Amino acid sequence: MLSRLMQWLEYRWPVSSVTRLMLDEEIPGGARFAYTLGSSLLIVFMLQAITGLMQLLFYTPSTEFAYDSISYLRTKVAFGWLIHGLHYWGANIMVVLVALHMARVFVWGAYKRPRELTWLAGVALLMTVMAFSFTGAPLHWDQRGYWAGEVGTSIAGTTPVVGSIMKRLMRGGEEMGQLTLSRFFVAHVAALPAALMAMFVVHIIAMRRFGASGPWPEAGPKAGPKSGSEAKRLPKGLFWPDQVFKDSVTGSAVFILLVGLAVFLPPSYSGQADTLDTSYVPKPEWNFLFLYQALKYFQGSLEPIGTAGVPTVLILILVLLPFIDRNPERNPFRRPVAMLGAAGLAVIITWLSIAGYRSAGFAIPGSAGGTKSAQASMPETPLMGFSPIATEAVAAEMRLSSKTAAPRNAGQPDLSKVKGLPGRAAYIIGSAGTGAVLFKKHCMPCHGQEGVSRLPNPGSQDGKVPDLNPIDRDLLGADADTSAQNIDRFIQHGAVPEGKAPAIKMPSFGDTHTLTQQQIANIEAYVLRLNGIERAEVRNPGMEPRSFFLTLISVYALVLLWVGGSWKTGRPS
Amino acid sequence: MTEPDESPFTTSRRRFFKILIGLFASINVAALGIPFIRTLFSSPYRAEGSPWTRIADLAALPENEPLEIRFEMPVDEAYLHKTVLNSAWVIRQPDSTVRVYSPVCTHLGCHYAWNSGTGHFECPCHASVFGIDGKVLSGPAPRPLDLLSSKVDNGAVFIKWEQFRVGNTGKISI
Repeated sequence: MLSRLMQWLEYRWPVSSVTRLMLDEEIPGGARFAYTLGSSLLIVFMLQAITGLMQLLFYTPSTEFAYDSISYLRTKVAFGWLIHGLHYWGANIMVVLVALHMARVFVWGAYKRPRELTWLAGVALLMTVMAFSFTGAPLHWDQRGYWAGEVGTSIAGTTPVVGSIMKRLMRGGEEMGQLTLSRFFVAHVAALPAALMAMFVVHIIAMRRFGASGPWPEAGPKAGPKSGSEAKRLPKGLFWPDQVFKDSVTGSAVFILLVGLAVFLPPSYSGQADTLDTSYVPKPEWNFLFLYQALKYFQGSLEPIGTAGVPTVLILILVLLPFIDRNPERNPFRRPVAMLGAAGLAVIITWLSIAGYRSAGFAIPGSAGGTKSAQASMPETPLMGFSPIATEAVAAEMRLSSKTAAPRNAGQPDLSKVKGLPGRAAYIIGSAGTGAVLFKKHCMPCHGQEGVSRLPNPGSQDGKVPDLNPIDRDLLGADADTSAQNIDRFIQHGAVPEGKAPAIKMPSFGDTHTLTQQQIANIEAYVLRLNGIERAEVRNPGMEPRSFFLTLISVYALVLLWVGGSWKTGRPS
Repeated sequence: MTEPDESPFTTSRRRFFKILIGLFASINVAALGIPFIRTLFSSPYRAEGSPWTRIADLAALPENEPLEIRFEMPVDEAYLHKTVLNSAWVIRQPDSTVRVYSPVCTHLGCHYAWNSGTGHFECPCHASVFGIDGKVLSGPAPRPLDLLSSKVDNGAVFIKWEQFRVGNTGKISI
């Protein structure tokens, strides 16, 4: 039955010929693990396509909902943590694998004539992967992604002559906004995947035209370029199943690594994009750090050299490599200039990346306590920048709270003393790390370091400013969401402590715009963390991440044991 | 390639078709391509001019000390109509006028902050430093901080919110 079906199909669509065309490939010198990097890239790309598609079921490409839609996916969708984690780490691994694949091809001299076009398509694929990375981060519309996009498009904007047009093309206008997000979204999910697949076809057909290059000729008595005849004498391996087996081993190892990263190093929350929060130090993604760092050495009129010149030169080196380096020698030990040049470039890029990673950007204004803020609704009482000196801060707060205080409702439970509903911040998953910086500046003067309060509050029932660590148990709800909502009402609207005449009152931070909603969300994440609650706790994991990883590892171990066992028993002893 | 038995007539007929196919294709590509490329590079429509926005009371401002004022204003961004929280750095002058700086660093568009310790504006992104007069003291910023139009009317500070191109030596409104 099945064979008749196959016959029917074969007559109309040559399945076996196509399969043979794809798999019957000779590997000169035999299959090797060194050749598995390209196929691992293909596997990770397919993983990116699948996890990307899954994310699209939950993601909303809007400046208002993008961040929350990803938070929802990560915390409330079964295996959402896995989908997002795999996509995030897959993107990073892909850049690493591209670099390794290129390095491998370079060392083997496989870019040389007649394989120039394979190399060029590979360079185009590298550019496409970098473009994926650049357009992917801002889709989150979090601080990290927003600023990476803002700085990246601004850098493109400083290119001489075409800069402002390029920037407008990328942003869909002059400023970052909804139209920018839409463009990055379309590039990331439609244009770039199409470009990548097209370049992949060119890459593979060009590669198969002359076949794999095989190992380099052994170092020996200096002989002329006879690699062609030498390759013919090499033992042949087969792509199927020899190389495919090695490919599947590397591919599976990469997959296990990705699941492990998603489980044990979930991407951190950097907080929703907030242009008013100067405490965030914007930096590009790690794979663009070397360009960012190089930019610092070109200032003033030299800046276009850093912003446009350096990347252009790097791309030109890659594009022109097979045409500049026309020496047919493939043995890396007999091409000292090329090898040293490449090593030098790799060292420079690595060094710049590390320097860029280490640079704190600048003095973080949020921690310096120097920034002052005020607001519009009550401009007659600008909120003084809280310095660590409590008395000054308390005085400022009292001035403020006398105007914003909620009507007192003595004798009622804690929550009812606060007027108003939770604000927008209560529903944003903030960054506890950024929250810690904001807490130091805005909350610590009264609530104390890490929320342990020592400040007396004469006239209040408790006699001192309430602790936030541990916080009033009544404020902690069933989950992180409800706890955040309870805390949020105090931060949004302010509150008056119980007692006859409390000297210190909780000022309003939300109603007065002293803090943005994003900043309040960050502070809430920090206060919850002080109380042992993760704001970003996964409410609906589908399966506990660690158990999932353990199960995956166990299944692999069992299969390996079973295969090993049957191998041994199958052999004549 | 001309086949041997082709008469001159059929050859020119083929040529005629080739030219016509090419022309049709070019017209179609141009008719779509030129407008679409124009779409990709155009700026979103925006109404001219910006209204005066009241941001603070003069009496609340300390003299000669930069203060970041936050204010809400209605903003049309493409098809989104929303109330946006903006900020500006306001410095009250001894003669009871104000200087108001756009909060955007002129280098690459980050938000800078006032460091009361050093008495400078500092940008966290690429370490541009500006004096209280807005002049570039160090770092890669290509021009001084951008002044916003401001006025004091009946004890209240008003500004015209504007944004400028970053990375240019000249101040170009967008």
